[in-house]
Parts: sequence; C-alpha cells; structure tokens
Amino acid sequence: MERNELKCQVCHRETVKKGYCYLHLKAYENIVKKYGLWRKALKISWKEYLSEIEQNSLTGEWAKEVASYLINNEGKMSVEES
Amino acid sequence: MEKYTLIITEKPNAANRIALALDAEGKPERMVEKGVPYYLAKRSEEVVVVPALGHLYTVADKRKKKGDYPVFDFRWVPRYLAERGVEHIRNWLKVISKLAEKAERFVDACDFDIEGSIIGYSILKYACRGKEKSARRMKYSTLTKEELEKSYTNPLAHLDFALIKAGLTRHEVDWLYGVNLSRALTTAARNYSGRYATLSTGRVQGPTLKFLATKEANINCFVPTPYWSIKAKVKIGEMVFEAQYEKKVIEIKAKADALNSSCKDKDGEIERIDIKKFKQMPRLPFDLGSLQSEAYRLFKFTPMTTLSIAQRLYLDALISYPRTSSQKLPPTLGYHSILKHLGRSPKYAKLAAKLLAKPPLKPIEGKRYDPAHPAIYPTGSLPEHFLKTTEKNIWDLIVRRFLAVFAEPAIQQSLKVTININGNRFQLIGRKTFEEGWLSFYKPYIQLEDVLLPSMKEGQKVNVKRVVLERNFTKAPSRYNPSSLLKKMEKEEIGTKATRAGIIKTLQARRYTREDKIVVTDLGFEVVDVLKKYCPSVVSLNLTRKLEERMDEIQRGKETRENVLRGAIEILTQVTKNLKENERIIGERLSQAIMKARMEEKVIGTCPICKSGKLVILQSKKTGKRFIGCSNYFEGICKTAFPLPQKGIVKPLHNVCKSCYWPILRVWIKRKKAWKLCFNPNCPSKINGAK
Repeated sequence: MERNELKCQVCHRETVKKGYCYLHLKAYENIVKKYGLWRKALKISWKEYLSEIEQNSLTGEWAKEVASYLINNEGKMSVEES
Repeated sequence: MEKYTLIITEKPNAANRIALALDAEGKPERMVEKGVPYYLAKRSEEVVVVPALGHLYTVADKRKKKGDYPVFDFRWVPRYLAERGVEHIRNWLKVISKLAEKAERFVDACDFDIEGSIIGYSILKYACRGKEKSARRMKYSTLTKEELEKSYTNPLAHLDFALIKAGLTRHEVDWLYGVNLSRALTTAARNYSGRYATLSTGRVQGPTLKFLATKEANINCFVPTPYWSIKAKVKIGEMVFEAQYEKKVIEIKAKADALNSSCKDKDGEIERIDIKKFKQMPRLPFDLGSLQSEAYRLFKFTPMTTLSIAQRLYLDALISYPRTSSQKLPPTLGYHSILKHLGRSPKYAKLAAKLLAKPPLKPIEGKRYDPAHPAIYPTGSLPEHFLKTTEKNIWDLIVRRFLAVFAEPAIQQSLKVTININGNRFQLIGRKTFEEGWLSFYKPYIQLEDVLLPSMKEGQKVNVKRVVLERNFTKAPSRYNPSSLLKKMEKEEIGTKATRAGIIKTLQARRYTREDKIVVTDLGFEVVDVLKKYCPSVVSLNLTRKLEERMDEIQRGKETRENVLRGAIEILTQVTKNLKENERIIGERLSQAIMKARMEEKVIGTCPICKSGKLVILQSKKTGKRFIGCSNYFEGICKTAFPLPQKGIVKPLHNVCKSCYWPILRVWIKRKKAWKLCFNPNCPSKINGAK
C-alpha cells in the first residue's frame, strides 16, 4: 500500500515535521536529545543506543515506536541528519 | 394551617434534621404530597420545612432548536424543561409553590456556599414568586440541634446577593462554554461520520484535559537514561546494614566501575556521626481537597466517592459541612464539648480523655480560610444507625484527624553515619521516635517505621562484607491519579471545590481518559489537539484562571455580571466561527478517534495462545452471544475463543492476572459489586480455588 506523504511515518496522524506527527516528533526529539547522555555514560553507538531503548521496558510507547522505525530504516537515517 | 414560616433546604435529609431540631417536642409531622416530603414543626409559631433536590433550575437555550450553535441566548428554567429523566421535578416545584402561597415568612436554609445559595435563590425567586428579596438566610456548618436552633433564631437578614450573582455568572459562563464547544465537536463528528457520539469540553474541562495530555505525552515520549548506584553491606556489631554511596547517582559507567574497584576488599571506618532531633508537627485539619487526597491514598476512594460519603455523614449530623476550603477550626466550635461527646464511643474514649486531661486545647491550623465554613470536623454525635464500611472509614479518618490536630508534635531523632571506605564516603541513615505525640492519635493512617542502629562511635572500624554496583534507569513521570489531579486543579486554581471531582469523572465518561492511574486515550489527545489548533484560548489555563478571578471580583463588587458575560460571548463568537470553518477536518479527526476508542474498548490484550493476535470482545452473528476471540481467527491462524458472562458490562482492565499473567476484565452487573475476571480456564488461582 502506498504511504500517504502527509501521514506520520509511525502512525496515521498528520505530519508536522521530519515525517512525524506532533506526538512522534516529540518522541524523536527526545531520543536525539538523550543520546548525548547515553554516549557519555556507556560510549555506545547510535545504533546500539536505539536497540537499547527499544528493548527497555521503561521507554515510553511512542519513543519505542520511533526507535523501532529508526532501527528498520537505519540505512536512510543517522543521528547526524537530525 | 395558619400562616407559617417556610424553610427551604437543599436535600430531604437536611429538611428532616432541621424540622427535628425546630419542633418543640422533637416530633415534627411528616407530610407527603405528590411524592414530595415536607415537615410541619410546631414551636411558638408554625414552621414548614420543604426540601429541594439539589438544583431545581438550570440554564437553558432560549431557542427551541436543539443542537445548533453558536448559542448565546439563555434563560433559567426548571430542570425538567431542559433535561431528560427529571420529570419528578415538575411536581416538586408545584408542591413548593403551593406551600409558598400561604407562607408568611421565608427562610433559605440551603447549604451555605455558592451552589446552595443559587438553589435557595432560584426557588425563592421562581417557585415562591419573588420572595428572594424578603427571605432570611440560615447559616450553619453542622446539622446538630444546637447549631440549627441557633441559626434559625439568629438568621442573616437577607441572602448573600453578591455571592449569588457570582454563582449565577459562573453557571452561565460555564453553560456558554460547555454548550457551544460541545455542540461544535459533536456536530463536526456527527456530520462527518453520520453517527452520534457525545463529545464535550468546557471552560475547566478543556484545560484539565490539556495538562493530562501533556503529562501523557511526556510519559509516552520518555527515554530512560542509565545511571549507577553503589551500596556497601557493612557489619556493625552482629548486624549487617546497607550504606549508600554519598552520591546517589553516578552517570558514567567507567566512574562507577572505578569506584566499585576502589572499595573492593577494603574495610571501612566511621568518620562522622550526625544526630538530629526534630519535631514532626501534626497534619492540618481537613479541607475537602485534603480529605479527598487522604481517602484516595488510604482507601483508593475517588474524590467523587469521598465527597458523596462525606455528604452523607454531614446529613447524618456526624461531621460538619464538607465542601469547605478552610484549614481553620475556630474555638467557637466548642472543642471540649466535641471531644467529650466523642469520648462516649469506646473507640475514642481513651484518646479523647488524653486530650481533655491536658488543657488548653489548641488545634494546629493551616493558612487557608473559608468565610462560609470551618475545616471539616466531627460534630461529636455518634452514628444513630449502622454505617457502611466506606462511611465508617471516612468518619474514623475525620475523627482521628480532628483528635490529632490537638495533640503534641512527635519527637524523632535521625542518625546519619558517614563511613569511609578507602577514601569513598558511604552513608547509613537511622531513625528513632522518642515521643509519638499526634502519631498515636492518627496511627492507623500513618506508617511509622523506625530504623534502629546499634551504638557506634567515630573512628570505629567496620567490616565491609560486600560492595554492590547497581545499574538503574531514570523513570518516566508518574501518571495522575484522581487525587493528584484534584491537587493539580487546586494548585492551578481551576474549577471549584464542588465541581473538580465531577470534571474528572466526566473526562472518563467521555472516553478521553481511562483507568484510575489516568491514561489519556487517542480520543482525548485528538480533542486537545483540535482545541489547541482551532481555538487555543479554550484550553488556556490563563484564560480560565482570569475568568475565575473576574467571577470572584463580582462577589467583591468590583466587576459586573454583564461585563463577564459579554467577554465570554466575544471569545466564543470567534472560537465557534473557527470551529465552523474547519468543521469537516475536525469531524474527520474526531470520528477516526471515536472509532479507535470504540475498538480499544473491545481489545482485551495480546492473545496468550498465538502471541501475535489481539483478544477482542466479539458478538456471535448466529446466537447474538458475546465471547472473546482472537483477531488472528480471520487470518486462519488462531481459533482461540473464551465464553463471557452475558449480562452486565464487560470492560478490559488493561492489566494482567497475577497468577497466570493473562489479560483480565472487569464485569459489572447492575446492583452488584463489579469484579475482576480472569477468563483463563486453567488459571492456577482457579485450580487452587483461590478465586
């Protein structure tokens, strides 16, 4: 099925920025922001970080969905892009 | 009957109490006309006491065309003209009007607050045909004989018209907001989908839902960060204690590892012992908000439940008026007499005697003051009939809090021991209670656990049994529960003590939120987003706070009702215009969210058999019976199905059974207590007969 350009990459909502709706955009921004702390704490790569937070039971639902989306589309994305 | 005084009360129980108190022999005659009870009390004059049933009048659309918006023309009408299911109010008003015809004097004895004042005022004005100006006002905080007698013989000369004006304006402004915004949302969704669903929002409901949604977004977007903590198990005397590294959070793993290695196989030395004695003051007297919070903490009663229980206790003359924001207990209440009366109960006899033996009685009080009523306190009367467990709990809580506010502070001592392990400082904390003070009065409701440490001295060597390095993660902010949401609303000064609990309930009834630990649904998010996008002022805390201030100013005579209404209409004119212009897109978004909410209500959880499908509540086309089936059935993957009770309401609990970890449901059959249902036929708890 062809994906609607105006729809969020994760859910059905309208896109506001970077291909995310306002809710998943907030989750994405949080993921990017927290990477600095994880890198400092564990010296891990962006990929390892995404996998860690995706599996962590304390990660919020939307942040998990974005992390999962980023993992599956890692070829197209990198933290530098953000 | 000759000419008499007509007293109007807010509720039937209050009418009975007042009649009992005012009749010279304490035996008023109970009359019933068209199903409406009223009482004849005889004293030096004849008194008729007739109750209302809460609000008998309400604000309604002046026009007959329902559902259309914007609507700015309103009038006050009997409730049976504006609402369904309240037809009995027609007779109620007829009886009051008939009794008013022969009455010589009128007394408003409704609860002394905004709502009570409006109830009395509108009955006197409309049902008694313009008697609001000549009526007198009884002011009381308890339904005890002494106080009622006193307030009847010394009534206020007239109604509090400033308070009434402010209250009427509040109702009218809330009606304008509620009816216009709710109609806009409902119409948009209905016009798009062709299906009706009640959607609502309002002046207080909108901002409340907005901060719930903000919290929910923070939880859902939360990304935990790792941190480490180090604990040392140290042996002092014959016992092992756990000391915590002085920095509770270590953010870098390498640093935590280095610290851990540096402490390994090293003994420690007590470097410093800090002893601090401190007083723990009694908790403040209950106002409604703090009673609701405490009842939620202790019994998990929602604010609405607590309010209705407290209201019943008030009508039984066991406690004072509960809708108060006061934290003051003035001496005029007669502390001595209340304690003496409470002492008649074996349960409180010792505690009351303890306080009475140590005069002078001086309660601890908070800053908040309510001109209408004091803080909630027990009247001293003991129950005349059997109290339900829920009522007993709330009454006992109020009695014990009242006793505790007169008691001495508790005296406690904290002990902080600093242990040096190879240059790294660890801390051990102990606590001991010397004098229980008020804690002994409030004991069942407060946990008091002392952490006793053996005697130690500085320079003493301690054996380190083990050093433990723990990896932790930061946690998402906690969800609001009904009690913390109520506190937040109080802090933000939105709504009133009488309306906040109802708003929390409405948010759930509209499917904007679910569960006790409040979760905002997709529909809730959609409503907030629509309002934020097309009429941001409606969800603005500032706007509603300003409106509250202006309504308070009406009460102080600094603002007029007309000005406030004009301001509200100006805002709503623009808001409804925006909503109308975007009706289609709003309708689409809301309709999708409603559909999703309806689906969500049917989804119980992940199928424990195939692990990939969702268990859904379905209805058999053949038999019409409901059952649980797996969504993978339609793909031919999973045939899992379970029977369900056919009566009552079944709702997913979004939780799992503690024994088998299968999703569980709540079943609620009318007139029966709701119960949790684990539908797993092989659940160990069922096999063991525990359920």
